[in-house]
Amino acid sequence: MESNLLHYVWQDSGILIEASLVFYLAWTSQWKGQGAVDFYLSSLVVGQLTRACFLHEYGWTSLRYYYAYWSTDFLLVLSAFGVVCLFFRRACLHEEKMWRLIRIFLVLLLVLVAAISGVSLSLNRHDFFTYFVVVFNQKLYFACLVLNTLLYLMLHRMNSADDQLELLVCGVGIQFAGPAATLALVYLTYGGRFAKLLAYQTIPLCTFGMLLVWAYVIVYVPRTAGGLTRRDVLLPAVPAQESKL
Amino acid sequence: MKNLVLMFLLALLVVATASSLWRMFAETVTIDGVRPPLVAIGTDPVPPFPPAPPKPTN
Repeated sequence: MESNLLHYVWQDSGILIEASLVFYLAWTSQWKGQGAVDFYLSSLVVGQLTRACFLHEYGWTSLRYYYAYWSTDFLLVLSAFGVVCLFFRRACLHEEKMWRLIRIFLVLLLVLVAAISGVSLSLNRHDFFTYFVVVFNQKLYFACLVLNTLLYLMLHRMNSADDQLELLVCGVGIQFAGPAATLALVYLTYGGRFAKLLAYQTIPLCTFGMLLVWAYVIVYVPRTAGGLTRRDVLLPAVPAQESKL
Repeated sequence: MKNLVLMFLLALLVVATASSLWRMFAETVTIDGVRPPLVAIGTDPVPPFPPAPPKPTN
């Protein structure tokens, strides 16, 4: 590993922020109101503590750390998918008809990803774990990226008044889009001079960015009641004299 | 029924987009002939991919 210190700083800071946010949510009694956020933060704390134990015990290049990392990543990607689903639910809080459709869509999406991965896994049984990681984890990750983008566009289309939800979705967007954009950059530059540095540093950096955005949102942005939509708010009438001007 | 078909097509479109993104960027990228780490979640250092083979013990 080229920069051990930097890696440990990212790792420990990330765990510290996650644990602090979980503690803050419990301390300020926001635990029940933030279903998606506390669920995801708790998953991150559990996943990252497991990885930290394996890293400390066996080292970065060990096979055990490799297995621990990608096994916990499987759980984290599933949690991320759950979070995006819960954000969709929160966005459609007063749109029951729309939510019923979106619920079907999300279930079908997960079934499709699992089915495609199942076909690929059945063809590569000799290296189950690697193909499982590559096929299922990665495809669900990119599916979450597309879903999160759709959710962001939907919030703008609905003209949502839930500022907290918009910022939370932006935070998730940093986490998903950052590594994908870096890979795109590496691909376009044919693995140039800084490609290795970018490829190894971006994933921790993007999750760290998401945690900072979420920390700001949880501490400073109050939750609006029930995800109301602005389109229902009547605009004040413009006086006739002003409108002529 | 119509909605179900529509949602299925939309899900298929999302999976196809995700799969294309992955194939375009993640699957084919190499740095100095070595595959870089895949996309993942967490602030932990990403292990090299594919993993180093375990050392033989005497």
